[in-house]
Amino acid sequence: MKHYLELTAIFAGQHKRQTRMTRLCIVLAVFLVTVIFGMADMEMRSQMIQAVKSDGSWHAGFVADARQGALIGARPEVEQIARYGAVNYRLQDGYRIEGVETCICGLDRNLLEMFPDVTILEGSFPGQPDEAMLNETAKSRLGLQVGDLVSLTVPQGISRQYKITGITKDTILEAEHDAFGMLLTVEGYDALHTKETGAEQEMVYYVTFRSFCNIQKAVGDITAQLGFAPEQVRQNVKVLALMFQSGDSYLIQFYFVAAILAVLVAVAGIFMIAASMNSSIARRTEFFGMLRCLGATQKQVVRFVKKEALLWCRSAVPAGVLAGVVVVWLLCGMLRFLSPGLFEGMPVFGVSIPSIAVGILLGIVTVLLAAGAPARKAAGVSPLTAVSGNAGTVQAAKRAADTRFFKVDTALGVHHASGSKKNYMLVTGSFAFSIILFLAFSTAVDFMHRAITPLRPQAPDLYAYDGGYANVIPTELAGTLRDRPGVRRVFGRGYVQVTAPLDGQETDFTILSYDAQQFKWAKRDLLEGDLAEAADGKGVLAAWREKGQIPAGSKIMLPLGGSVAEVTVAGTLGDVPFSYGRNPNIGSSETLLICSEELFQSLTGERGYAVLDLQVEPDITDAEVAQIRKEIEQACGAGISFSDKRLSNREVKGAGYSMAVFLYGFLIIIALLAFFNIINCIAMSVSARMREYGAMRAIGMSDSQLVRMIVGEALSYTVSGVFFGCIIGLPLNRMLFHQLVTSRWGEQWQMPLRELVVIVVVMGVAVWLAVQGPARRIRQMIVVDMVGTG
Amino acid sequence: MKRTAAYRCVSRDSPGRKVLVVCFSCTYKKQHEEYPLQSVTERQVIVLEIVRVENLSKTYGKGEARVAALKNVSFSMERGQFGAVVGASGSGKSTLLNCVGGLDRADAGKVFISGRDLFGMDENERTVFRRQNIGFIFQSFHLIQELNVEQNIVFPLLLDYRKPERERVEEILEVLGLENRRKHLPGQLSGGQQQRVAIGRALIMRPALVLADEPTGNLDSRNSQDVMDLLCSAARHYQQTVLMITHNRDLASSADRVFQVTDGVVCELGGEGR
Repeated sequence: MKHYLELTAIFAGQHKRQTRMTRLCIVLAVFLVTVIFGMADMEMRSQMIQAVKSDGSWHAGFVADARQGALIGARPEVEQIARYGAVNYRLQDGYRIEGVETCICGLDRNLLEMFPDVTILEGSFPGQPDEAMLNETAKSRLGLQVGDLVSLTVPQGISRQYKITGITKDTILEAEHDAFGMLLTVEGYDALHTKETGAEQEMVYYVTFRSFCNIQKAVGDITAQLGFAPEQVRQNVKVLALMFQSGDSYLIQFYFVAAILAVLVAVAGIFMIAASMNSSIARRTEFFGMLRCLGATQKQVVRFVKKEALLWCRSAVPAGVLAGVVVVWLLCGMLRFLSPGLFEGMPVFGVSIPSIAVGILLGIVTVLLAAGAPARKAAGVSPLTAVSGNAGTVQAAKRAADTRFFKVDTALGVHHASGSKKNYMLVTGSFAFSIILFLAFSTAVDFMHRAITPLRPQAPDLYAYDGGYANVIPTELAGTLRDRPGVRRVFGRGYVQVTAPLDGQETDFTILSYDAQQFKWAKRDLLEGDLAEAADGKGVLAAWREKGQIPAGSKIMLPLGGSVAEVTVAGTLGDVPFSYGRNPNIGSSETLLICSEELFQSLTGERGYAVLDLQVEPDITDAEVAQIRKEIEQACGAGISFSDKRLSNREVKGAGYSMAVFLYGFLIIIALLAFFNIINCIAMSVSARMREYGAMRAIGMSDSQLVRMIVGEALSYTVSGVFFGCIIGLPLNRMLFHQLVTSRWGEQWQMPLRELVVIVVVMGVAVWLAVQGPARRIRQMIVVDMVGTG
Repeated sequence: MKRTAAYRCVSRDSPGRKVLVVCFSCTYKKQHEEYPLQSVTERQVIVLEIVRVENLSKTYGKGEARVAALKNVSFSMERGQFGAVVGASGSGKSTLLNCVGGLDRADAGKVFISGRDLFGMDENERTVFRRQNIGFIFQSFHLIQELNVEQNIVFPLLLDYRKPERERVEEILEVLGLENRRKHLPGQLSGGQQQRVAIGRALIMRPALVLADEPTGNLDSRNSQDVMDLLCSAARHYQQTVLMITHNRDLASSADRVFQVTDGVVCELGGEGR
């Protein structure tokens, strides 16, 4: 031994058992931080995959002319630049192939690298101005092949011939709108653009910047130097945000929330480690007093405790990091399992360097911060403590235990918990902290369930609709389609718009019909009233409106079918999760009424559906979808529109999965935090009182009485922790619920009983487990050893 | 005000001759200015008085529970003297020792160790001074259970960031009769052996003063005598001043000076050496 601090290593080697709990706390804290950042990193990666799929991987786009484009391309920070232009994006300008509106895009070949969503299924990118690629929908509907000629009619009536060089996969937009898409070379697009429209040439130059470039600064420089107006510059906000390069205020707020989360976890970790170290110091008061007696200065004692803590880090930090990495692997694997197509880009055994770095750094910083107070406490031990011989590990009691309500054993346990006000507040506070965190974050799950529509059971994968909102789809078609292979569910809605007086004001009503299945789904959205009454055709359900809901029992006079029919509002729905049929011009001010199909028929005289939703199996083939479409067209005529939402559903579902994994993962972590904290606190408290328990055993206390004492102590902390946690956590839960859910969907806050039960059960199990270890130690205790070492 | 103290000449030609009487708190330089003595140089002078306690008072508690643990205590001890403190339980012996060792603060009065005012220093200064000048021996040994005999002995040196001298360690181990036990942990030693390790630890820094609080309290008579012999020989051999609390009158009788503490009042009973 050459230095007094080497004693810490000798100590660590010989007291592995005693320091196990503290090391476990460090492992847990590091594990939590690594998992949080690992999960955040994973969430970012999956969001990045989604963002690149939906929006492309470009960073910025500039609407510029050729000279400006060349200047941008010549900048050193620009890695890649590609031109892009589009006409008839909204499918209403009159560019048609075989009479079908077609979106025409002109682009450089390397733009496809920035938009991985645009996949070439067969053939190749056009090389000549009179060559083009078409999308899958156009190919299948027109029965074309690579090498065929296709004729495009432009609004001026001229026809142009193009040779098809390749077929691209439908983009999400094309699939959803059942649209034709045509890709040309920039030269081909230029030729078409200038000649046919006479409009000024306008291209977007999409740019990706080099790594480590300050994108906001680069975009700012380009904008200033080339004199672009704000509307000429666009940024890929999602991708930039995920690269931490966005100036978007919402995302900055998001980062802020993530940072707060990390700080909260770090604080929880500090609480936990500090509590366990405090107790370890309390056990060794005499030792520190002796060190002071031998001439150790206060600084040397502080250094000793910190070195000891850092020594624990040597094994605990790698263990925590490793455990965190494994859990992140499991979560990645789970995501890939849940949505293999979407998350194929995510590595199962990917290592998140930032999460490891933050885990190590925050772990060590947390330990050092946590060690601060105990170290000062140790340094504050008077050298007298060693010589006076009364260096108790337990503080002297200031008042007697209250034995009026409990038996003496339980009363002593309660007294042990509440005896030291400071310790009681600390432990209760840390328990309450977990509950507050749990209750606060559970509202995010409520938000997620409502915000991500395709995760709701009624989200359709395909739907057929009439553009004019006419109820032209025969109801029998639903039954026929239901029997087709790959189809899971088919359900439709009739649709009628009517203006009627409500509270003395003319109000636009949209009446929708629901079948039994849709009523069943609507049950969870019912805010008030009786759903069965509406399902039975005795009344209608009104959707919640921002401007005030229509109370159950209200009568509405609807002028329908030449006569006025009176309907009674049977209840209010918080949400009607179907977007079709909503008048975009009226928006949220429209009033939706939902009634049964029978009532709809009797009110309106309409027998068909305006929209037919299909839910399909994930393995349904495109050929089967085409067959379904054919059948619908046969039944309703070619004028029927068709929307394929499988792609976008998959995308949002993927986002939902990753969000769910992140949120539930976080809730599990909070629960774990509470769990280990309780076990740790009780174990520490018992260790500190072992001598006292020995003395109690010596004077005749039985094992079971001692265990009751520990249970009394554990429950005192837990009950008061739950109490204070609820007092702060429930209003917080209510406030967040109001902000996240009520303000958008009208659903009123309810006592989060399920969440409370979960966290209380977790804490109960933790208390039960926390008592087991000490109980075993008490049973194995040799009384003479305990009382004799005073 | 001048305080007087005796200095003894250690030059070869006149060993043991008292040479000057000076202000106790003066530096050597000042002493020579005030009392120029051609026959005595700085090197030849050593401080004879190691402990000086002046009007030391200490009370515990408040109101009716107020207890005067020390009442106006004054005494001094010279280098190499062996002092025993005797008295009934609760008489104030330990308080006296703790105040002399700088572990506890007195309410009034002063303690000078080797001419330095103990309570005039700040906490850190006092700790370092204590480490370098005062050795402690406790009734229940207070060894570090995780360190072996040798490591326990050199530990104060390590706290002082000094490298242990091999010869010094060997010498102490030999004097204590622990050469064959150097790698043993405290738990593997008898009570007497553990106390010897504690003595070794107290001596390793060559402190001017060794304070022992009932060092034989946990030992049988044979081991008690061994420990006493060791302490006495250390005091003689290393010219260290020892102040020891004991309940054992027989052990006290072998001390140079015996201090009786009764209800916080200290009076000297005399001793073998007087």
